[in-house]
Amino acid sequence: MSAGRDDDPRIKGIKSKIRVVPDFPKPGIMFQDITTLLLAPNAFKDTIDLFVERYKNKNISVVAGIEARGFIFGPPIALAIGAKFVPLRKPRKLPGEVMSEEYILEYGSDCLEMHIGAVEQGERALVVDDLIATGGTLCAAMKLLERAGAEVVECACLIELPDLKGRERLNGKPLYVLVESH
Amino acid sequence: SLTGNSLKISRVNIVSKKFQRHSPSGNSVTLKSPNTSTNFQPIHSTVTGGADSGETHSTVLSTESARDQLRPDMAASPDVIDGRIAGISAAIRVIPDFPKPGILFQDITTLLLDPKAFKDTIDLFVERYKDKDISVVAGIEARGFIFGPPIALAIGAKFVPMRKPNKLPGEVISEEYSLEYGTDKMEMHVGAVQAGERALVIDDLIATGGTLCAAISLLERVGVHVLECACVIELADLKVWFYLSITFVVRVCLVLPDSFAGCPLI
Repeated sequence: MSAGRDDDPRIKGIKSKIRVVPDFPKPGIMFQDITTLLLAPNAFKDTIDLFVERYKNKNISVVAGIEARGFIFGPPIALAIGAKFVPLRKPRKLPGEVMSEEYILEYGSDCLEMHIGAVEQGERALVVDDLIATGGTLCAAMKLLERAGAEVVECACLIELPDLKGRERLNGKPLYVLVESH
Repeated sequence: SLTGNSLKISRVNIVSKKFQRHSPSGNSVTLKSPNTSTNFQPIHSTVTGGADSGETHSTVLSTESARDQLRPDMAASPDVIDGRIAGISAAIRVIPDFPKPGILFQDITTLLLDPKAFKDTIDLFVERYKDKDISVVAGIEARGFIFGPPIALAIGAKFVPMRKPNKLPGEVISEEYSLEYGTDKMEMHVGAVQAGERALVIDDLIATGGTLCAAISLLERVGVHVLECACVIELADLKVWFYLSITFVVRVCLVLPDSFAGCPLI
């Protein structure tokens, strides 16, 4: 399934602003750095516009963003489509009553949390993050929303690393990405 | 007496239930319940005094040019400001005893659940800063990442994330700052900003000012002019460790008990 939006002329500019940093956080990993995209106001705006064009008028009332880079892209999308923004956070950051979802890492596991009451039964939600790799974090995010009774309409990321097959981990949920990196 | 920009603020939406929930997949989760009560007295706010009795800020700008003048009345008429501010402050939830007993945590996540109030928050900042030749909005991890980018996008500025150590992948410069116990470090990418650029620093809340000061230092070390710090909330009662050039707050100034003094940054 083709996920890249190569047909849109804005994509090329967006892709050109993403910086690849070798050997971060450890040797052998080519880190996709979106901070350079954020330094290019037109490209950053185009990024948000592409998501907003896709999701406005779709009755989406929740945009959930995954800490921390999902906090950069989620809120502008939420504001533009009139949805709530729900931060999904590492453990013990959210101050109120939370629900937790554990997920597996390469070594060990981690946890994602969401405030109780942030999302209501029947709401239609997006999950936003800068990048999908193995899909573990996105999967945990989707589970949190679904446990709260929301319908996850789609996961939206700037970048996909298709070789890591994260798409398959989403249990059939649609994934929309702007850029693929092999 | 309270100025025209003061508000009566009441604490709202404190969660006090404790229950277990079973997910469809069979995982059972015990949910944390903060030690809360649902009875609260309204809090009267005052506009923060500091060195400027009655005004929320003083400027120490060395230039008198129009683009540098930021006055409290610049956003909109007082009625419009007050109308939006009341909605914004009402949407902020206070959580007692988080992250530790005695602390009243200012939770902005409930503001983010109110699209109109969230939009008003951003609009108030954008109205103040557009047409001021600001090319950099620096946001402090992690809640500064929520408010900074929408402002940056609206005013056509870059967004620069200021992060905890070892998060930024490229070459960084670091600034150490003090906590109540020990120190922490803030980092910024080398090359994100250029000498001579005009910047804002954004965070959800200013407590002692230590984090904001570290951010200002990082920017000034590379020759950036920090025009202003902008926060949604100021904890007016805390002793400010360092002198900030200017602090503009969206008039949600909460007066808090003395037990807050000396708290670590939240």
